[in-house]
Amino acid sequence: MTVLIQERVREARESHTPLRITGRSYWLSAGRPVAAIETVSLTTHSGIVEYVPGDLTITVRAGTTLAEIGRATGAEGQWLPIDPAGSDDGTIGATVATASSGPLARGFGTIRDLVLGVEFVTGEGKIVKGGGRVVKNVAGFDLVRLVTGSWGTLGIVTEVSLRLYALPERRVTIAMEAPTDTRRLAERLGLLRNAPVMPFAMELVNTHLARRAGLPPRPMILMEIGGNAAAVAAQRDALAKLGAVIEASAETWEKVRTAESAGGSVFRMSGLPAGLAARWERAQQIVGTAEGTAEGTLMHASVARGTVRCLVPQELSAEASNLLSAPNADDTVIFESLSHRLWKKLSPTAISDRVSQSIKKAFDPLDILNPGILGPSL
Amino acid sequence: MATEQLADDLAAIVGERFVLRRANELLVYNSDGLPGYRRQPLLAVFPGTRDQTIEVVRRLAADGVPFVPRGAGTGLSGGALADNVVLLGLHRLKKVISIDADNERATVEPGVVNLTLKRLADPLGLLYAPDPSSEAACTIGGNIAENAGGPHCLKYGVTLNHVIAITAVLPDGEVVTLGSESGEREGYDLLGAFIGSEGCFGVALDITVKLTKSPPAVRTMLADFTSVDDAARVTSAIVASGIVPAALEFMDSATIRVVESSIYAAGYPADAAAVLLIELDGLSAGVEADVAIVRELCVAGGAREVRIAGNEAERLRLWQGRKKAFGAMGRLAPHLVVQDAVIPRTKLAEVLATIARIAAHYDVHVCNVFHAGDGNLHPNIPYNADDPGEAERVHLAMGEIMRACVDAGGSITGEHGVGLDKLNYIELIFSPDSLDAMCRLRSAFDPDQRANPGKVVPVHSCQEWKSTAAATRHATGAPT
Repeated sequence: MTVLIQERVREARESHTPLRITGRSYWLSAGRPVAAIETVSLTTHSGIVEYVPGDLTITVRAGTTLAEIGRATGAEGQWLPIDPAGSDDGTIGATVATASSGPLARGFGTIRDLVLGVEFVTGEGKIVKGGGRVVKNVAGFDLVRLVTGSWGTLGIVTEVSLRLYALPERRVTIAMEAPTDTRRLAERLGLLRNAPVMPFAMELVNTHLARRAGLPPRPMILMEIGGNAAAVAAQRDALAKLGAVIEASAETWEKVRTAESAGGSVFRMSGLPAGLAARWERAQQIVGTAEGTAEGTLMHASVARGTVRCLVPQELSAEASNLLSAPNADDTVIFESLSHRLWKKLSPTAISDRVSQSIKKAFDPLDILNPGILGPSL
Repeated sequence: MATEQLADDLAAIVGERFVLRRANELLVYNSDGLPGYRRQPLLAVFPGTRDQTIEVVRRLAADGVPFVPRGAGTGLSGGALADNVVLLGLHRLKKVISIDADNERATVEPGVVNLTLKRLADPLGLLYAPDPSSEAACTIGGNIAENAGGPHCLKYGVTLNHVIAITAVLPDGEVVTLGSESGEREGYDLLGAFIGSEGCFGVALDITVKLTKSPPAVRTMLADFTSVDDAARVTSAIVASGIVPAALEFMDSATIRVVESSIYAAGYPADAAAVLLIELDGLSAGVEADVAIVRELCVAGGAREVRIAGNEAERLRLWQGRKKAFGAMGRLAPHLVVQDAVIPRTKLAEVLATIARIAAHYDVHVCNVFHAGDGNLHPNIPYNADDPGEAERVHLAMGEIMRACVDAGGSITGEHGVGLDKLNYIELIFSPDSLDAMCRLRSAFDPDQRANPGKVVPVHSCQEWKSTAAATRHATGAPT
């Protein structure tokens, strides 16, 4: 199977044909514009290669969807705790290539922490493996971390080995109203971060997203707690001491994940976790600069990581893009989706440094893999 | 001569007393934690500040001089050995730059000792999770180089999972920031690539690590077994149950006897075939329920007794035996080979039986003491390297054990690194194209491959690099 992809890359290399690498094609709007002539789809390159439940590890082909992994592992009482934006119809290959994670990163780390091994085909058509199938491994230089988040520009990910967890006995979703005043929000988030709880997920969502998720239409803090019955009960009690809580359905998370607005602009603002409330306010100001945008914009933030994600339904206003081009010193801005014009203005490259350029040249010397998606090869 | 000039120049940067040139002074630095390997450095230099470190690296770059970064020298792979090249010692860089309790992170220089950071974080209710057994001596910089693990990495993850950002000086003298101290970073994960690069990608100048909230409840128990096989099967059963213990450690009878006859005696039952040291932590209510399940699994799996530490002193005593086990083996013989292979956790019983057969066949004395929950084995063999017959048998047994672990689907090293020690085994698990890809990654950080030359990936695996001028200099030994 991998040799077929290797063959495609070798042909593309001979003919200098730049390739667009895709999974289920849900995310084609993400990343900088790609100047590709042909598409390599991994969707048919799917299926489980090895799954030994007792080891809590699984090896799958890149085109396997998160839903397929969920079904196979769920049957054994296990799961891959990763919930990137979009839905479980996305592939594991795309999840790894884009280093996508969601709210569950609070409890289980990002995809970078869960990948044990990768196989990929380089721009020269070589099949390379990094890491392995065991849960601890420092043999050789870390090609796993290198390829994770490289957006297909160093190699086409063809196979992934992952760490699994046992499904907890109980999982409960709890929502709590978030103060709208920034100072009070900061206090509330501080209390939550220091409460005797170890949530799997803790996200702040704005009014619009709360409504879409079936919650009361107010800014809300959404939490998932899990574990054995005693652990869940103790955490629920601890949270109830901090404010009025409502129990929400597990589907709430699904609704949050899938509430993408098509054709819009998506960006993240990250920084120190303790600065989240102030960052949330700045993000609201930025998305509120265009008429009608504030109302339609979905916002959510990871309380533990301090990252705010904004999904604006249309192109950013001139004022918003100006604010984002010179952000506050406490904010790091990363864009997911932008118009061609704004990519050039706001974030032309993520790989301009010497080491990154050398790596790109070493793995894809002819620049045929997703050329431009992280910025130009110089 | 050139070396004298270089030493004079380095002394001008760091001060005369921090440059060692004489063979007898350098003797201390000719091995790491594995006494089986000895390599004499050309000279050794010990910068005292970040700026001095950058200046030293730039001075070395100016003449294309190869060098080996070194922390406390506690490594177990022969990785920090400088074979007639410059040894760059970083243990004087021991400033704790900041601890930010609100944001649960600390920034330290590379020479800060692992346990020092833990002790500073503890009163704040925070924990630096990676805990190699050498934590009282090893440095954070060395931990970064090796992507160090430790017993508690079963639940909390290895060093890689706890580093936010690193400022490093690359071998050519350029200072770069890897990762981001505040916020996310787009682009290639150069931070992830750097961690575990065994000193081949550059020298860390400051390191920002995550601190974790100390768990409110910790319960430590010791289960003893009359059969190794039972202990191995119980380990697999605990892993399969889905409970993730903070640590799940295995010691066999040979290790128990060594520990119990040393000053580190921990009260392990001397007649047990194996013991499991199990720690569970988390919120009090949840931990008690898990303790009951784990105890039940142990008893059902044949444990003779499950003893739960009643207080902190008892807990520390149980841990001391485990943490000092490698040191205690020094009582048995002057030398020790340490293995670090990892196997799938369902194969523990099978592989331990194979190791016992191999040990019997070669008439060597294996002491198994390892991170069972991760499947990270340490079948250690105390021996006398001055007895050529014994040394040869140990060497052959080690090779066979390594191949058995690889055949079981494992890796050659889980936390100690490849260094010199496992250089000959890396081709067992990676294809020539994969090894070449690793060489290319190294060359992106260090085009001349001057930092820790000859370690991790065999030079003959570097298909493209071999054609470069730098490789020609390596091969011919021409002056640089």
